[in-house]
Amino acid sequence: MAEIAATASKRDVGRGRGLVAAIAWRSLWRNRRRTWLTAGGIAFGVSLVVFSMAFQAGSYGDMIYNATSFLTGQVQIQRADYIELSRFEQTIGDATETLRRVEQQAGVLSATARVEAFALVSVDERSFGAQVLGVDVERERQVVNFFDRLSRGRVMAGPDETVIGSGLARNLNADLGDEIVVLGSAKRGGVAAMVLDIVGIFDSGISELDRSLLFVPIAAVQNEFGLGDEVHTIVVRTQVDDSRAVVEALGHQLPEGLSVRNWDEVLPEIRQGIDVDRLGGMFMYAIVLMIITFSIVNTFTMTVFERLREFSMLKAVGMRPGKIVLMVQIEALLLWAIGVGIAMGLMVPLLAWLQSSGIYLGEAIVELAKQYYITDRIYPALGPASLLAAPAVMLAATQIAAFASSLRIYWLRAAAGVRAAE
Amino acid sequence: MSSDIVVSCKGVSRTYQEESVPVHALRGVDFEFARGEFVSIAGPSGSGKSTLLNVIGGLDRPDAGTITVDGVELNGLNETELSDLRLHKMGFVFQSYNLIPVLSALENVEFIMQLQGVGPAERAERAMSMLDSLDIVDLADRRPGDMSGGQQQRVAIARSIVTNPVLLLADEPSANLDSATTEDLLQLLRRLNEERGVSILTATHDPIVMSYAQRQVNLRDGAIVEDSAAKVA
Repeated sequence: MAEIAATASKRDVGRGRGLVAAIAWRSLWRNRRRTWLTAGGIAFGVSLVVFSMAFQAGSYGDMIYNATSFLTGQVQIQRADYIELSRFEQTIGDATETLRRVEQQAGVLSATARVEAFALVSVDERSFGAQVLGVDVERERQVVNFFDRLSRGRVMAGPDETVIGSGLARNLNADLGDEIVVLGSAKRGGVAAMVLDIVGIFDSGISELDRSLLFVPIAAVQNEFGLGDEVHTIVVRTQVDDSRAVVEALGHQLPEGLSVRNWDEVLPEIRQGIDVDRLGGMFMYAIVLMIITFSIVNTFTMTVFERLREFSMLKAVGMRPGKIVLMVQIEALLLWAIGVGIAMGLMVPLLAWLQSSGIYLGEAIVELAKQYYITDRIYPALGPASLLAAPAVMLAATQIAAFASSLRIYWLRAAAGVRAAE
Repeated sequence: MSSDIVVSCKGVSRTYQEESVPVHALRGVDFEFARGEFVSIAGPSGSGKSTLLNVIGGLDRPDAGTITVDGVELNGLNETELSDLRLHKMGFVFQSYNLIPVLSALENVEFIMQLQGVGPAERAERAMSMLDSLDIVDLADRRPGDMSGGQQQRVAIARSIVTNPVLLLADEPSANLDSATTEDLLQLLRRLNEERGVSILTATHDPIVMSYAQRQVNLRDGAIVEDSAAKVA
């Protein structure tokens, strides 16, 4: 017997697949309606998940790009202790040289430096606390698009000009052309005082910024606040996908004590929002795929049950139980391929077309979208994750469903099946 | 054991539980079957003939006793080893043909050889040659659903002997066939037995089948009550 088994295992293993695959394929079509229903279920589930994931990924890309392009940039460099304490004197020294080194880093598209100071701003009798942001407007425009959101006036052209938020203007009862007095503490303890003309008013859509922020040319702030060649923040523009690598590279290159942060550290609420949304999406996808999986389990339970006679006969004539189970697994694979083929045949061309045309969200949703840094048109992102995740899950589900349903083949007694059939 | 003995059963018993009631299908059966013999096991329904065929074919396991097929003792073999034994040493013909419905006649015959690992060219040639020798070449491309009962049984026989088994087990091979087709089928079995030396063991209660066998063993209530070989001896 050992001789037979040895000979059999040498010759049989890996062979006999041709007709086994043929039986699997043809058996699928013994009950066409059930096959089409199950394959249709797989196609529906995979299509739904691929479509949703592509739009989810696309909306995340847009959200990250729009959020970071607004004011924060994709990467920020600050002194590590400034991030924690935000003290005015915690500056980056030798800012011109540091900015030059940052701009030379591969992956950096542009960069700009900022000075941040808290001050009392007054127009006539009215005074409010505000954050003064010293910026180089030309550089800023290469890094962020904040200055595209001026609702009135223009950007600063000289050292005595300022652009203020619409909320701050309203609180100060100020308007374009009015003079605004800025009083703060200089780095070495003196009083920093500036008298500026309001040349522009911005309306960012974020009331916190509109109420508390004013922009002043960086050189004027450095001069009045006694900073010299010092800044608080260097803001860097990169491709969103490159930002992590740029953070790594700059982290190694820049002097110790400087902290290089990626957008998800600067704007953790965006990352958290994406994570929560992704989790919600995963939950929904899991439910959809689970429902489809139950229908597959049902299909294979019926398939195996209806063919017990055939399987017992195959055992009787010498087909190993493992090979019979393999045949059922091949059926599951073919069923999966049909379903996924239909889904991909529909979804890939549709999503490829939507990648260029997008879907307009409609008037009602545009304002809401702005709050979440989404544009009025969303585009799908056809990446490996959105294309392969659902098919991979369904592949595992069909194989597990087929295997679980066909386990009884191992315990099926050939004689019992043959006798029951007669 | 003599090499002329294909099957040897010693003290084989098999008891089923049917609704908690024990049914003694076989009671200590002793039986030997020589190479090249055409033996029919006869008896009324419930006499144990199908059970005896099944335990000899390794489709069922006896509760007691030993069975040896072509020198291999079946006791102690696991399911995979039993499958391999059936694949390489036995051929089966069932009452209801049991062909694979989605394969053509040629593919059904080829399939067993494919399980044995025979290459595509050789198995196609052997399968066609087997169909030819049984005069059913014209059925090669037909599926079981498109064949009559007699035609299906011929294909089943072709499938069972194409691998040159040492033993052909046929359980009620004529049960679903008319008299003319049964005669035709039995002549074919006799020809295979005489010309190819195929050892045939058939369980039947059909007198026509019994008349074609060289030796008749009668079972009743799970025990051998008559063996024509013993009479001759």
